[in-house]
Amino acid sequence: MRVGAYTLVVERTQTTSPVRVAGSGLAAVVLALLLASFLFWTPEAGPWAAYRIAFGYAFLNPSGLLATLHRAAYLLLCTLAFLVPLRGGLWNIGLPGQVYAGALAAFAVPFWAGVRQAASGAGGALLWMPLAAAAAGGALGALAGVLRAKLSVNEILVTMMLNSVLFWVVSDFIKEGGAFMSATAEGESFTLPEAFRPPLPFGLPPSAYVALGAAAVVDFVFARAASGYRVRAFGLNPQAARYAGIDPLRVSLGVFAVGGAFAGLAGYHYFAAVPGLYKIPTNYGYYGDLSFYGIICALIARGNAVGAIPMALLFAGLSVGGRFAQGALRLPFGVDYAVLGLLMTTFVVSHLVDRYSLRWQRAAPQPALRTSSSSEEAR
Amino acid sequence: MSDLLVRSLEASTVFLLAALGELVNQRSGVLNVGLEGLMLFGGTLAFLLAQATGSYAVGLAAGVAVGALLGLLHGVFSLSLRGDQVVSGMGLWILSFGLTTYLGSPHTGPLGLPRFPQVLGLSPFVYVGAVLVVAVWFVLTRTSLGLSIRSVGENPAAAAASGVNVLAVRYACVVFGGTLAGLAGAAYTLSYNPVWNYNFLMGWGFVSLALVFFSMWNPWILFAGSLLFGAMWQLSLNPDLVLPGVLSRYLWRTIPFLTTVTILALISTPWFRTRWGLARPQALGAPYLGD
Repeated sequence: MRVGAYTLVVERTQTTSPVRVAGSGLAAVVLALLLASFLFWTPEAGPWAAYRIAFGYAFLNPSGLLATLHRAAYLLLCTLAFLVPLRGGLWNIGLPGQVYAGALAAFAVPFWAGVRQAASGAGGALLWMPLAAAAAGGALGALAGVLRAKLSVNEILVTMMLNSVLFWVVSDFIKEGGAFMSATAEGESFTLPEAFRPPLPFGLPPSAYVALGAAAVVDFVFARAASGYRVRAFGLNPQAARYAGIDPLRVSLGVFAVGGAFAGLAGYHYFAAVPGLYKIPTNYGYYGDLSFYGIICALIARGNAVGAIPMALLFAGLSVGGRFAQGALRLPFGVDYAVLGLLMTTFVVSHLVDRYSLRWQRAAPQPALRTSSSSEEAR
Repeated sequence: MSDLLVRSLEASTVFLLAALGELVNQRSGVLNVGLEGLMLFGGTLAFLLAQATGSYAVGLAAGVAVGALLGLLHGVFSLSLRGDQVVSGMGLWILSFGLTTYLGSPHTGPLGLPRFPQVLGLSPFVYVGAVLVVAVWFVLTRTSLGLSIRSVGENPAAAAASGVNVLAVRYACVVFGGTLAGLAGAAYTLSYNPVWNYNFLMGWGFVSLALVFFSMWNPWILFAGSLLFGAMWQLSLNPDLVLPGVLSRYLWRTIPFLTTVTILALISTPWFRTRWGLARPQALGAPYLGD
């Protein structure tokens, strides 16, 4: 585009400043919320009223705030599950499957202990439950990592297939006479006895604090530790990393196992540690799909785990408050899913915008036309 | 049993239509991992508009059009703006998953129209799918357009040097791929299973994507693979016809997905790759920076 003596030039950039990246991520979130405001539009209340109701419930109402914090911890664990493989250039979209695997493993502890009806004496099970959940999620993730490293099998396809597999495995466990089915046979798991419920310091289970600490550790490892450097190097250029002696199998297996463990822990957190649930409910698929918010958090935070914490909090508030506003304003089901979709789209746009820069360039002067007199002089 | 065969053919057709479009897409070097999203959007819009107007034709046109539009969007992101094809595809999938849940939820339930018209006892999509296999095979292997498509998927710089407009060919292919994905979604919600429910596809798009890898980018192998997966899908829904009482009906539902993972692993072994894997488009997923 030319304006006077200047031309607007669009250029593809090789490097982007952190400030610009943070700014474009924030702009993506704001733009998605603006677009989503159309979904909240009802004749009774405008979009701002809907947002006021949603965020008011999520952050100002005591029970809403607690629900938001529980969900934020879940989303943060899912974010870490996606973020760790992403730093190695790998896509773990098997979050729902790993969440389900973690939930099943956590419930397997009291089940195998033979104390489904027990009221006391859980003892070490409180520790074994999250460990089993992390191990199950990690094992499922590791499968995708091994297939990727050894055979170059597309990890997106494998993790997505495993999501579907685990979805049906959970159904097998909790429905129609499944091993974990509740006594009322309502298509949900048995409720955890009191003794198997973790303590709630300041209203939150220990897994929520683990999520916060893990975010700091993940950032530290990627910034300071040799293992983090190896993962980042592999993510930036697998071929060059291989020449530098980095073992692709160790990296792929490692990041997927760690990522899967975080997702497994998220499964434990939401189904076995959040008050009011303490079971795998009939609509467990909703919680599994909610984990996809972890993808958005990690992408918008550009792989920064601590930077993803406010994102997780915002999206948790949005989904908890969105559901509340949905009921209060009689909005159709799925507003939170629609926001998820819009966020992903605005992120893709911001990701592309980061790669381009606009610059005003002074237009080159046009060559002067020869006049007839000057050509005669030349002659 | 004949009902099972008919249903298997119809299921195969949904896989086939989506995978065939993606095959052409990938032969031109563009990967669209958001195939499931395009199918979800195509299927949902087809369902909603057919229900609102009472016309299958309107629904079908809407499904196809939205698929083409999303294919075009993927082209803009990944071809013109040279964005990461995986990021763009994932964006389309999550966008479609989110918006279709919002749009479709108030209409959860059956379509409420008379059964989709049948031709000789089969859904017309079955015939469309079979014809498209022949057409795609013919175009890819017997025409100059097919040569252009294959050349931009193998070596876009060399294709450009020989006068092929790489961007134009790739755009045509992503729009074609999107169109067929939308058609596959519409075939699902209008004919195969005319009921809308939350996330109704549950992985069909990803299985279709896997089928393209499984087919080694050959339309005939893709056709055979679709038939196999269609049959397997139907059997997983009706396991008592084959092995009554062996596994729970929920575990049977895992079989197509486990089979997909197993096949993906098998075709990725070094032995298989050296023997058969030469058909993989060399420039698949790589942005073309030449223009």
